[in-house]
Amino acid sequence: MDVVTGLRPAAVLAACAVLAAAPAPPPATIAFEEIGARAGVALRHHTRAFQGPYADVLAMFTSGGAAVAVGDYDNDGREDVFLTDSAEGASSHLLHNDGNLRFTDVTAAAGVGGGNDSRAIVSDAIWFDYDNDGWPDLLVARFGTPLLYHNERNGRFTDVTAQSGLQAFGNTIAAIAFDYDRDGKLDLLFGNYFKPVSLFDLADPHVLPTDLDNASNGGGVTLWHNLGGGRFENATARAGLAGHTGWTLDVGHGDLNDDGWPDVYVASDYGTDRLFFNNRDGTFTDVTQKAIGFDTKKGMNVDIADYDGDGRLDVYVTNITDEYMRECNMLWHNNGDGTFTDVARETGTCETGWGWAAKFADVDNDGWMDLFVVNGLRSAGPENYIPSVLEMILRPGVDFSDLRSWPPIGNKTWSGYQRKRLFRNVRGTAFSDVAAQAHVDNDRDGRGIGLGDFDNDGRIDWIQTNADQPAMLYHNVTRAPGHWLELQLKGTTSNRDAIGARVTVETPSRRIVREVNGGNGYASRSSTRVHVGLGAETSVRSIVVRWPNGTSEHVSAPIDRITTIREGDGR
Amino acid sequence: MMRALRCAPMIVALVLQAPGDRSVPLDQLESRVTADPDDLRAANEYRMTVIAEKAYDRALDFFKKLTDDHPESANAHLNYGFAYVDKIPAAGAIGQVILANSALTEFTRSLERRPSWVGYYTRGVSYLYWPKIFNRWPLGVADLETALKMQRADRRHAYHVRTFVALGDAYWLMDDPAKARAAWRTGLKEFPDSAPLKQRLAAKPPDLKKLMNDTYDPARRVDTNLTELWTS
Repeated sequence: MDVVTGLRPAAVLAACAVLAAAPAPPPATIAFEEIGARAGVALRHHTRAFQGPYADVLAMFTSGGAAVAVGDYDNDGREDVFLTDSAEGASSHLLHNDGNLRFTDVTAAAGVGGGNDSRAIVSDAIWFDYDNDGWPDLLVARFGTPLLYHNERNGRFTDVTAQSGLQAFGNTIAAIAFDYDRDGKLDLLFGNYFKPVSLFDLADPHVLPTDLDNASNGGGVTLWHNLGGGRFENATARAGLAGHTGWTLDVGHGDLNDDGWPDVYVASDYGTDRLFFNNRDGTFTDVTQKAIGFDTKKGMNVDIADYDGDGRLDVYVTNITDEYMRECNMLWHNNGDGTFTDVARETGTCETGWGWAAKFADVDNDGWMDLFVVNGLRSAGPENYIPSVLEMILRPGVDFSDLRSWPPIGNKTWSGYQRKRLFRNVRGTAFSDVAAQAHVDNDRDGRGIGLGDFDNDGRIDWIQTNADQPAMLYHNVTRAPGHWLELQLKGTTSNRDAIGARVTVETPSRRIVREVNGGNGYASRSSTRVHVGLGAETSVRSIVVRWPNGTSEHVSAPIDRITTIREGDGR
Repeated sequence: MMRALRCAPMIVALVLQAPGDRSVPLDQLESRVTADPDDLRAANEYRMTVIAEKAYDRALDFFKKLTDDHPESANAHLNYGFAYVDKIPAAGAIGQVILANSALTEFTRSLERRPSWVGYYTRGVSYLYWPKIFNRWPLGVADLETALKMQRADRRHAYHVRTFVALGDAYWLMDDPAKARAAWRTGLKEFPDSAPLKQRLAAKPPDLKKLMNDTYDPARRVDTNLTELWTS
């Protein structure tokens, strides 16, 4: 089959072995209904407007910020939602899941709506239990200084940023929580877009990428080590991550070399992505050249999952693949030897327009990770901005870093009105786009995807956020889905959120590996509940949890149920 | 090109070297090109070696100096353009645009100095690699139609089949499949063994679309080896 051309022979053999052993999946019909307005989540995001001579271009370069964070902040067993806004004075929103797919905006009572002032722009948010008290806290990332809210266990949050040590300025666009040193406390990794200069009072207009394929004058990443007691220290240089100075748009973590320690993938706009392997001593090694090679693409998203069922985590990165730029996304197949092979073309996941978030999720519960991708930069008037950009690019001696070089976009469209993609996983060998049939092929300017089983029915739903447009809630109404199980892991000696835990489920026919992450995906923090589709299987042989601290235990859980698993309760 | 072909007996020793043969050092090849800036064969061998050694920037520097020193050499400009094209696969998406545009500039300078079939054919095909939104395909059609007129006034060469293939492709890209098929059919009458023409005429629309996408994928290396000009 052409679809597997380019996969390494070992990978193909492994996939074939899996196929030979597996029974036919149930005939699920993937379908979603968009219920954002009815559910109370269709809140409009607003990008930031700037003043002064660079207003138009700065607005264009900061048009992210529509993020979603899914988490059960009040521990009532239902996944709640935090949606960001970015306009000056605009409030972000905490939406309480009342059940029956209805949400109530509780932002004012919770006290978490702030952050969009005249000096800062809210850009991302994640839930993470930084103090291991069992209640998810909230981190709001900004073009500015971040905000850390402590969960007071009564529906209210307290701003504890001042005593956290996190007040360093950065133009942060992405944030994840993970325990990189396995000390049981969740650390933070920020992806920063611009270098750390305030965009609100620019003395020098040379703040944009110096090169559109190989820029290294961006904000890089910042690693915040959790010291305990609500305090963090900047560990970026000590950990070996300071050498990356690209235009980071997303960061992701996962144990990519199966050594039990979380590794880091950095997606960069205007230049190469970076892969860092964890040295198990609080530092990382940049393995980009050997593992994936250097690229010149416009990396937008990192999501990590085992798409082909070989037990190893793979990486999906969106880039720009449009009429005028044919970069192709990257689906990095994990070869198991510290190297990865891009199989995006071979698997049919190459072209998704101007990509933003992409998330793996088994939407039909057949045991294979499907892939939802949002896209679209700016849907506006009939005139296209690209010819203006071309004129600028071809101008002799043009300085791309100079805000004055870029033509105003006005009401022009730039990679707008793009149809979303839902790639159904064809048993680990290829993907087919079923977005239209599944009714998720909207043409909004998508940014983030927050996965969660909002009605606890065993089918993964999601929130899609959009720039300057309302958020959407896609309720999964797939008919005849497979069996499933969901595990809510609770760390005890490991971090309480169990971020980094790996779950291996053995069924009579398959071995399925899932890992808990702390915010992988552009502008996206999904539920940490582990969802496993089982297809036609009505039993599992074993469930093994490898906790973030490295210990493993066998646990049990009924199928078609949500089960809470506490570290230490297994055998 | 014509001048270079007329000089062929004088440089027969060069063609004994396979294009891209790394046994001849680049500086030696550069000396040969410098000795006759209009010598397509010497420059072609140099560029093939450059590709093999990925010495793209060196070649660009070399041809810049060559065209500065010999501004009226049509083939020096043509090869300068090819040197930009040769670097395209090694560049990022934006760099590719800049390189492709620079190549067009040099091809135009070559044609301004001496109109030639290879010049019009090369520039015409180059336009086809640009996305539709940039509206360069009509320019490609015009150049390829000029190349067709020139080859009809010349004695027939095997490489002339390329014009029919590219011109049909250009019409197809511009949403005129009937004209595309007519061009391919005309070509097949003159070159009945042409596999590319047969392939296009036999292909169904979806396959043809894929073929066009693959053929004019700017990320793929374009074969700029001109050996066919003096071997067919």
